[in-house]
Amino acid sequence: MINNLLKLWAFIKRDFLSEVSYRLAFLMRVGGMFFSLLAFYFLTKMIDPNTRGLNGIPPFDWLLVGLSFQFYFSTALYSFSARVRNEQLLGTLEAMLVTPTPTSMVVFSSAAWDFVYGGIRVLLYMVFATLLFGVRLDVASPLSLLIGVVLTLLSSVGLGILSASFILYFKRGDPINFLLSGATTLLGTVFFPVELLPAWVQPFSKYLPITWSLRIVRGSLLQGRTMADLWTDLLVLALLTAFLLPVGLICSRFAIRRAKREGTLIQY
Amino acid sequence: MSYAIEATDLEKTFVKARSIRELLTQPFRRAERIDALRGVDLQVDEGEILSLLGPNGAGKTTLLKIFSCLVIPDHGRAIVGGRDTRQENAVKRTIGLVQSDERSFYWRLSARENLRFFARLYDVPIRETESRIEELLGRVELLHAADRPFSGYSSGMKQRVTIARALLHDPPILLMDEPTRSLDPAASLALRKFVRDELSRRDGKTILLATHDLREAEAISDRVAVLVRGRVRQIGTVSEVRRWGAREQLYRLEVDPVPDRIEGPFRALEDETDGGVRRLTVVLEEGARLDDLLRPLIGAGIRIRVCDRIEPDLEGAFSRILESETEEA
Repeated sequence: MINNLLKLWAFIKRDFLSEVSYRLAFLMRVGGMFFSLLAFYFLTKMIDPNTRGLNGIPPFDWLLVGLSFQFYFSTALYSFSARVRNEQLLGTLEAMLVTPTPTSMVVFSSAAWDFVYGGIRVLLYMVFATLLFGVRLDVASPLSLLIGVVLTLLSSVGLGILSASFILYFKRGDPINFLLSGATTLLGTVFFPVELLPAWVQPFSKYLPITWSLRIVRGSLLQGRTMADLWTDLLVLALLTAFLLPVGLICSRFAIRRAKREGTLIQY
Repeated sequence: MSYAIEATDLEKTFVKARSIRELLTQPFRRAERIDALRGVDLQVDEGEILSLLGPNGAGKTTLLKIFSCLVIPDHGRAIVGGRDTRQENAVKRTIGLVQSDERSFYWRLSARENLRFFARLYDVPIRETESRIEELLGRVELLHAADRPFSGYSSGMKQRVTIARALLHDPPILLMDEPTRSLDPAASLALRKFVRDELSRRDGKTILLATHDLREAEAISDRVAVLVRGRVRQIGTVSEVRRWGAREQLYRLEVDPVPDRIEGPFRALEDETDGGVRRLTVVLEEGARLDDLLRPLIGAGIRIRVCDRIEPDLEGAFSRILESETEEA
């Protein structure tokens, strides 16, 4: 266990060092976050606060949470496959896979920095929003928020690993990313409430983990909801996670074994 | 007897990727298969340097990848360090892979930072990591550049970092895939010397080296195995393999006094006279023996100062092996 944590730390440190070696890009990304928030702040001024589905949450606050978590969710979705592909292209994947570190650990840890960076980014969004844009965060139940965030993380990890399995196997053309990124944007209640969509489309929203994640996080952060109010949402998200995480792990195991049989593990 | 590396009847076939056009026009046609290994039997003794020689596509890299647990064979067994390659983690602790691909590092990081990262993956104990890296950087003569970004290194320096990485966990077995491929002659020479003197003689490592550089194989190997189209065609010491299929016997002679004519069952390839000594390189006719060459000379009162057999070179043997393989095919 400690050994695995040390390995995870080594991956995070490696990517942090690479990241900060591009100093200007690093600073510009943080600056870019501020300007995108500023743009959204004025954009949401055009939206009627009484729009159906906002449930009394100010439009900017509603969008802020949606954007922050969508970023986190897409990080999970893209980073595993993107990192695996990047390591294949760099030629470093083979060097890692001849070490006694299991392939699944290599795949999982390769994206660790992206998660850390994604977390920092969510926090920075919240700090900018509260200090500069007057958003009021009212956390009635830190526990339900914490459970919601952890479940969000795990469910997206499941999807991310599933997506990386496709990259390991097919090298290009990852249908998981293609389908989910589109579905998340349209149905995941990131930019607008699902109630604004045609009635026949709305039920599909319930199959996406991000829909439940955002209900929990918005409820916890912006509406002062407690565990008692949120337990059904938490349960549904837990069930989705319990399905997605093992499916992701099983698929990655299958993909790694198959790629080793076909000799394509490190090809790109 | 136990070997450091042992392959028994290894077979590996790859399916050739089909183009989208082929998939659309002939969706039910069976994909083309390529036999990379066709029943390879190979044993490498502990502490030995064995070179795998072969043309491109002979199966050298596939074989190394099987020993590195990166590819699973279709048939047969591969034992490395006494363990079946199906016991991946145990096998990986006993091997270090030296690739020819210098891209296999993080170029924005220094050699030291790269080695620190890989030391974790190799489970080098935390307390020993720094001293181990320092020692290895010293051995590959890179201490002066250890904290510079990897991107600024020359090809020779990059290859030395690759060797340092393969030694991080002090494995008894090294698998080297064309380690001098991108190096200039001087760097190649230095690397061969390091492999022979340091890794083999000093550390006693078992080294399996894939190469198509015959001089490299000749310079550092205890034995060579010639792999052609997925089969080991010849295996033995360098001089054994050199002689394989060599029908011609070549001799170098120095005789005096200089005779006007030398006749016998041979053909002179080189013939020069210098200061009363005649130097000849001769090839005996088929079926002739050394006696048949020397007797007429001695009979004519000629003094034979030097008579050396010229060993056939590895290049010639390699060509003969390839020719025989083509004929069989």
